[in-house]
Amino acid sequence: MCVFTATAAEVPPGLMARDGAPAPALRLSNMEGKVTDLRDLRGQWVMVHFWATWCGPCRKEMPTLQSLVKLLPTQRLRILLVNTAETDDEVFAFLGLVAPDLDTLMDRDGKVTEQWQPRGLPSSFLIDPDGRQRYLALGGRDWATQPYPAFLRQITQPPAVNGPGRAP
Amino acid sequence: MMPWLPQVGRVMLLMCLATVVRAAEQPPAARNVYSGQGLVLHAQTRTPDQMVAFYTGRGFPAAMLEPISHVCFLTVSMRHTRQDVVWLEPSRWRLLDAEGNSLNRLGRDFWNRVWETMQAPAAHRATFGWTQLPESRDLQPGEPVGGNITLVPPTGAFTLEAHFATGPDKKGPEIVGRIEGLICHAQSTDKTRESEP
Repeated sequence: MCVFTATAAEVPPGLMARDGAPAPALRLSNMEGKVTDLRDLRGQWVMVHFWATWCGPCRKEMPTLQSLVKLLPTQRLRILLVNTAETDDEVFAFLGLVAPDLDTLMDRDGKVTEQWQPRGLPSSFLIDPDGRQRYLALGGRDWATQPYPAFLRQITQPPAVNGPGRAP
Repeated sequence: MMPWLPQVGRVMLLMCLATVVRAAEQPPAARNVYSGQGLVLHAQTRTPDQMVAFYTGRGFPAAMLEPISHVCFLTVSMRHTRQDVVWLEPSRWRLLDAEGNSLNRLGRDFWNRVWETMQAPAAHRATFGWTQLPESRDLQPGEPVGGNITLVPPTGAFTLEAHFATGPDKKGPEIVGRIEGLICHAQSTDKTRESEP
């Protein structure tokens, strides 16, 4: 059982704490057919980010997610992009220009997005290592600018391991 | 210069010109915007061609474009800087024609019936849904929201009277924002889409 360590973190503007309800199922493939299942990512923090190419704030936010990936190692925070109901052509053309280092899962009929009930697009859910919803980002933002990287580092910090001779 | 104009007349003319220049330098008055009580609301009508082009670009089939081309789309965006919750509930909003008569908003139920009848593809139904304003949302401080509402096109200018409950239990003071002089544009005359598959 992982320990949820984020209770003391100060929640930055635009993020809303959630009640810790289990995250809905998410099993989708990317454009190459590789399947990702959220259940397989237990034990680490995951950001599930819903987006679409037609959504203005999504277009603005996407490059900042690419920058965030460089600031936080995947082992600390795995970012899962989920494109809502668009085609490979639309997504490929967009990501290739705006955030070529990022990959996205494809919710081709939009039904997974519907199950997650985001408040709009874009929406980012922060899922803790136990698979529970801990935070929801309201609308878009620059994830690579403080206070967001500091907040994400804080909540994803691994539990301290006490070595021999150290106080418990 | 202008010897035919008396000195006084020339001065008055220069004053008038200066006023015109100053007016031109002023930023245009905000149109289609309500701002007050910690809330900013924008509303902008879209032409049928704009909307058909948008959804065509998303790969919508001609059958779905047909009803889209016959309604009035109003793109609404808002953000509030209040400390409490503001409730977005378009079903409580009023759309009024020049005589004060209520206009019919076409909500999600309407569109769901239309798409169901024509067995519209799930992906396009989802996209259309995400481009509409939510039917109910407890907007948190600073939370932005945007999307379309649709209505039967009125013949003349109309007014959006947006009512917002406030507070977590909706018992706070109500906010009413009015945006007048909205005009829906004529029905699309683009025939090219009729030949689309």
